[in-house]
Amino acid sequence: MSTVKEKLIENLIEEDKISQRKITIVGTGAVGMACAICILLKDLADELALVDVAVDKLKGEMMDLQHGSLFFNTSKITSGKDYSVSANSKLVIVTAGARQQEGESRLALVQRNVNIMKSIIPAIVQHSPDCKMLIVSNPVDILTYVVWKLSGLPATRVFGSGCNLDSARFRYLIGEKLGVHPTSCHGWIIGEHGDSSVPLWSGVNVAGVALKTLDPKLGTDADKDQWKNIHKQVVESAYEIIKLKGYTSWAIGLSVTDLVGSVLKNLRRVHPVSTMVKGLYGIKEEIFLSIPCVLGQNGVSDIVKVNLNSDEEALFKKSADTLWNVQKELVF
Amino acid sequence: MATLKEKLIAPVAEEEAVIPNNKITVVGVGQVGMACAISILGKSLADKLALVDVLEDKLKGEMMDLQHGSLFLQTPKIVANKDYSVTAGVHQQEGESHLNLIIKYSPDCIIIVVSNPMDILTYVTWKLSGLPKHRVIGSGCNLDSARFRYFMAEKFGIHLSSCHGWIWGEHGDSSVAVWSGVNVAGVSLQELNPEMGTDNNSENWKEVHKMVVESAYEVIKLKGYTNWAIGLSVADLIESMLKNLSRIHPVSTIVKGMYGIENEVFLSFPCILNARGLISVINQKLKDDEVAQLKKSADTLWDIQKGLKDL
Repeated sequence: MSTVKEKLIENLIEEDKISQRKITIVGTGAVGMACAICILLKDLADELALVDVAVDKLKGEMMDLQHGSLFFNTSKITSGKDYSVSANSKLVIVTAGARQQEGESRLALVQRNVNIMKSIIPAIVQHSPDCKMLIVSNPVDILTYVVWKLSGLPATRVFGSGCNLDSARFRYLIGEKLGVHPTSCHGWIIGEHGDSSVPLWSGVNVAGVALKTLDPKLGTDADKDQWKNIHKQVVESAYEIIKLKGYTSWAIGLSVTDLVGSVLKNLRRVHPVSTMVKGLYGIKEEIFLSIPCVLGQNGVSDIVKVNLNSDEEALFKKSADTLWNVQKELVF
Repeated sequence: MATLKEKLIAPVAEEEAVIPNNKITVVGVGQVGMACAISILGKSLADKLALVDVLEDKLKGEMMDLQHGSLFLQTPKIVANKDYSVTAGVHQQEGESHLNLIIKYSPDCIIIVVSNPMDILTYVTWKLSGLPKHRVIGSGCNLDSARFRYFMAEKFGIHLSSCHGWIWGEHGDSSVAVWSGVNVAGVSLQELNPEMGTDNNSENWKEVHKMVVESAYEVIKLKGYTNWAIGLSVADLIESMLKNLSRIHPVSTIVKGMYGIENEVFLSFPCILNARGLISVINQKLKDDEVAQLKKSADTLWDIQKGLKDL
């Protein structure tokens, strides 16, 4: 007795089950799921795989997304504790990791995250040897280094979300001050994602008009308009939002999706993401810091050589030293 | 001394407050509210999004987190406040209900009710708001039907947008799957298998409807709540209205006078949604047992509603 399907549909050729634009997200916490929903809303993937150790939460999140399938165009959503579900991914986004406990040193936190990454990264690479990896977990610059080391992949295929979000926040705040949409306000924050990020005031411009030419004191303490506060607000943003709602999710999800778009569509747009900077600005160690990178289907294919003034270069080098001091103590 | 802004930008038009064209307010910034918010933002449906909640810190944190993503969005104004002044500019008076305030500041608005029990709360909202019935809509069976189509698609191995099936009636346990309408490319599945949807059906298609009913419970058991699917389905309804599409969705509307229902109850039927709101209901000849199920739901809802005070 034939089924309704057999009565309804005549099959002509075997279905090709290999996805062309598969993305895996590791970690289904608030950040991972914000990345997931934003990626789905932007139609970037034909398959989305979720991986986590919390199996019930994982399955629940997968089902909830699947039930929304009518409203987006990603026909395959899968999940699993086992990394076989991630096979054949073009891009793997890592949001998993431990959160800093009260009183815990950064080194101790990083070492805990090294151990977590050891259980994640080799399995990812085994199942998707050609993938690019985008690291979001914090401290992102150090963890991007850790993931790169554990993966054995070329450094061009492992990058961190870095200062993409810091720069987005910077442009949002500049936009608010000027009454202009953030996309028309240009400004770059590079270096360490966090307290010692470097705002490049000389590059801040609207329609090519450098704000520093209108006010040479821009970004300094002498500036009456206190534009320096904008950078301070960027640095403090995350802490403030965490204090108010417990975590941040939406902005990082949107900014990660922005990066994903450039990679999967091979756009070769320039983004400030965390990449290997050994050999630049006098840095001799294998450090990852954010600089403007060209992102395409092979990951970071080029970098933009920004001229840093002596203060900016000093800050950059200082970040590199701080990171190396932590990195050299790590046990792999 | 001119500010940097004044040096950079020369005004052409007089400075004037711009009234937004497509303003959406989301009341409640829990998981469902925020899923609605991100879906609305992701689809660029509004030029202004307002968030309202009683929890001030959470509310401010959510607003800031969304604002920080502005570079990647096309909704230039995202605001939040615990009182409805975010919709206009006046503070809440002692004793005024939330609903009165919504209406006071947005007298021409359309209200979509998502909170559960959805059909009853849509009735309550309609009663308290005094709004005409075409402007109070329950999110209803829009999501149930989406889930049904998802399961149908999995069974056939084709995309769910090509699988058609409607779930009517009460959102929840006693919803009605209208089997006669289930089709692919206009081919009625019930004609291919007349037992479809009955207990006799060897393929057990009735199970598909059961899965829809149980979906929410299952997801809640696994992750504690549902949010993504409902958020996306609400954005879908909003899209029909803000873009004046006149698409048809199964949403909860007042059904007094239809199918022999005499009381003021809200149930989901296929409705046309456009910029004016819910402007019409699609009629369909239902089977006797389907009508009986709808009547039964209506009676159950009325039993609860008639006991409610202060409406």
